Amino acid sequence: MRERFLIGFDPFVLPFMIGMAFVLTYCIVGLIRVILQLSKADRRKLAASLFKPANAWRNLRDMFCDCLLHVKLWKRNPRLGYMHSAIAFGWFMIIVLGHIETFIFVPKKAGLFYYPIFFRYFMQMDNYSLRGSFFFFAMDFFLLIIMSGILLAMYKRIRSRFFGMRRTTRLSLTDRIGLYSLWAIFPLRWIAEGFTAGIAGGSFMTIPINMLLKNIMSNPENITVAWWLYSIALGTFMIALPFSRYMHIPAEILLIPMKNAGLKVYHPRKGFALAQIYTCPSCGVCIDACPMSASRQNLKDTTVYLVRQIKRNNARRMNAMTDKCLMCGKCQEVCQIALQSYDIRMRIRERATYNLELDHGYLDSYNPTLAKSKVLYYAGCMSSLTPVTGRSVRKLLDVARIDWTQMDPEGGVCCGRPLILAGRRKEAARMIEKNTSIIESSGASILLVSCAICYRVFKEEYELKGIRVMHYTEYFNELMEEGRLKLNRGALRYAYHDPCDLGRGCGIYEEPREALSRVGIIAPAEKERAMSVCCGGSVGSLTLSQEDRIPITQASVQNMLYSKPDRIVTACPLCHKTYARYSPVPVVDFAEALCDGLDRKG
Amino acid sequence: MAKDNVVVIGGGPCGIEVSRNLRDMGYTPILLEQQSELGGHLRRWDRLFPEGVEARKVLKELTGDLKGVKWFTDVNIESIQKSRKGYTVNVDTGMSFETKALVLTTGFKLFPAENKQEYGYNIYERVITNADLEQFFKTRKDSRIQNPKTIGFVHCVGSRDEKACNRQCSKVCCATAVKQASEIKELFPDATVYCFYMDLRLFGRSYEDMYLNAQRKYGVRFIRGRVSEVSEDIDGKLYVKAEDTLLGKPMKIKMDLLVLMTGILPGDSTQPFSEMLKIPTGEDGFFTPKDTILEPCVAKESGLFIAGACTGPKTIPETISEARATAIQVHKYLS
Repeated sequence: MRERFLIGFDPFVLPFMIGMAFVLTYCIVGLIRVILQLSKADRRKLAASLFKPANAWRNLRDMFCDCLLHVKLWKRNPRLGYMHSAIAFGWFMIIVLGHIETFIFVPKKAGLFYYPIFFRYFMQMDNYSLRGSFFFFAMDFFLLIIMSGILLAMYKRIRSRFFGMRRTTRLSLTDRIGLYSLWAIFPLRWIAEGFTAGIAGGSFMTIPINMLLKNIMSNPENITVAWWLYSIALGTFMIALPFSRYMHIPAEILLIPMKNAGLKVYHPRKGFALAQIYTCPSCGVCIDACPMSASRQNLKDTTVYLVRQIKRNNARRMNAMTDKCLMCGKCQEVCQIALQSYDIRMRIRERATYNLELDHGYLDSYNPTLAKSKVLYYAGCMSSLTPVTGRSVRKLLDVARIDWTQMDPEGGVCCGRPLILAGRRKEAARMIEKNTSIIESSGASILLVSCAICYRVFKEEYELKGIRVMHYTEYFNELMEEGRLKLNRGALRYAYHDPCDLGRGCGIYEEPREALSRVGIIAPAEKERAMSVCCGGSVGSLTLSQEDRIPITQASVQNMLYSKPDRIVTACPLCHKTYARYSPVPVVDFAEALCDGLDRKG
Repeated sequence: MAKDNVVVIGGGPCGIEVSRNLRDMGYTPILLEQQSELGGHLRRWDRLFPEGVEARKVLKELTGDLKGVKWFTDVNIESIQKSRKGYTVNVDTGMSFETKALVLTTGFKLFPAENKQEYGYNIYERVITNADLEQFFKTRKDSRIQNPKTIGFVHCVGSRDEKACNRQCSKVCCATAVKQASEIKELFPDATVYCFYMDLRLFGRSYEDMYLNAQRKYGVRFIRGRVSEVSEDIDGKLYVKAEDTLLGKPMKIKMDLLVLMTGILPGDSTQPFSEMLKIPTGEDGFFTPKDTILEPCVAKESGLFIAGACTGPKTIPETISEARATAIQVHKYLS
């Protein structure tokens, strides 16, 4: 190969160069901003993790698997995975191969950004061009791969169901500019390289097009036009990039080390959160996952659109969307970049100001005297709305001859979770403090909780020295494993619903199923475990109307009826109450279902 | 002159009265009832407000004279076909009836009190419903009612309650509660009786007297506020938590008996008939007539009539008047 031009420059590279310079400056400034926004401790944590060999390896692996190969998407839907990795990995390979070519054939031009990109224009074949034939083939091969990805991307716009998505994101204007310029880049490159294939050489993609359109392509004046168009497409894409969803391409490279360093979201649009927000590719997987998608009018309040509003710093919409959310955490579970939407929303809620001062004066005078026992049972306020829960728990405890006391037989102090969810940590702290002192002075070694909502706050926010916090699903399963609680198995088919706070919130999936399988048959729901669908009754939402909750509950009940169960079982009194109104089959509490096994003769 | 058949579905007070009137006009009514006796909910009731007329007497009056009415009990409707001539009604016993005019008087059902679990129906021993109490008035037998000293009536259980999926007012339960509170006080003169209400929606002639009597003569205590939850102690006594919204104070009362005034929902057959015969229903699930003001008993489809509690909660006298009006509408349609 040898150079065609002495100076190795042509004005058509300018659009590309301008775009490149712009995007690089933007990213570097953004990077510095994000790093500066981090707290000193976080910055140190990040720096330390970068140089830890195990972590460095993890970072590299994640970047390769997530950014280029999109492994998570492959697992979700192979077509979707192929589409993304074809474009990402193919493009990456073309850039890398371009640089290698430049490095091998014209090492002195290796420093120019545009040279590897427009290599075919500036170079021509010579007698030794056989040395380049590997590259000709490889470049055309990856171009073909990318083009197949682009074709699928176009089809996805028409029929997203083919890729396993019911709904896709409504694109913003800049997203559209980015999208169309991205689609244009590769066909234009194909044509441009086709023009020069007669001079610079080519392979199975570029040579045929050159031969087919010989009349147009052999006119040297047309050559520059084609390369101009290719360069303009690249430049447009790069200028649109920071303002579009394609910002995820550079941002993810920053996000991966931050995530692997274990940073926490401390502000909804600064530091770690900002990196996450820019990494959101607006793929819209969260739209289908969101329980609110059961009714159309709430689609616009799903996470992908929240991220867009956070980017735009639209405080009014941000707050409204955040307050509406059920905080079920499902979007986070399906998210390709594991965007910590729960934490981001919590930080938004915590920053809201309230005019109403809460009066918790009664806390000082509330000092219950509790009998000393091994197990302290906290039924929680919801359990008094579903009395069957408390009654069944007490029955099981007595049958297993456990030494227990109830902490709140006539109503106690709230666990604090509703206040925390409303962003009022300061007020919640008072409840937490009061409950902590009651629990610690009770002398119990196990705190038993029959509500998933209470359980999560006891796990996450309380520091109870020497006391094991157990959800009743864990506890009764353990009692059964130890043989202290003997139940008889029947033929009833139970569909177990994973409450959001227990499943996604605390990772408890197996214990309730194990326990239930000892009293009956488990009838799986259509979506369960981490994919479980919120019942719609969540205290997480501050503004969702009853009318909007009804379709959510109906959809969630349908999901539970997938294997035609005899009973729906929940391990959360709120889910129980919510389901009971809409379910055609009886809804029972977990403890109530276990009591079925007590009454039965073995 | 042999006049046409008219099929009437639902053998409660409304269906019976429609049939009787059609018969008087010379038609042959065919009355179909799902249960094994005619009379509907009236059979479960002891006395009727406002004067306390015995339900038994009213029922006897209605069912006493059914000569000329062809009535069938224990009948389920399998399907109804609409043709140019009218309707063909096929029932599960294998019979089918041709009719030019079809009258639906499918009635209502009471809100299942279990669905408000916080009130503890079927969980706590001493929580009963208004229907249970009427049964007790009739039979004087109920193991849950043991000389109670403190009795509570909870109004609007499953009515005017969006969380129970029921926004509408059931209209007749306030009057029923006042009637039942007075009656139970008559039975247990030493008891203290409370009524927990949101608004008292009693109207109509002599209802006000009934209300004033409940306060003056029987000393029923009316508390404006909803009951939030009920719990039970080891002895089976109930603790009722409510808010007195006039005093702005929460209250907790120990009780021996709690009566839930369950509201009125569309009957279970309303939805299937609505699909089968294309009768629109409102958000509350009751049938919507062609014109709510001028044609309250006529459905949109020709030859189809709807009357009684299937178009919304009604008192017995309202139902009877509507039944007679419907008979005239049917007659006008057929002649």
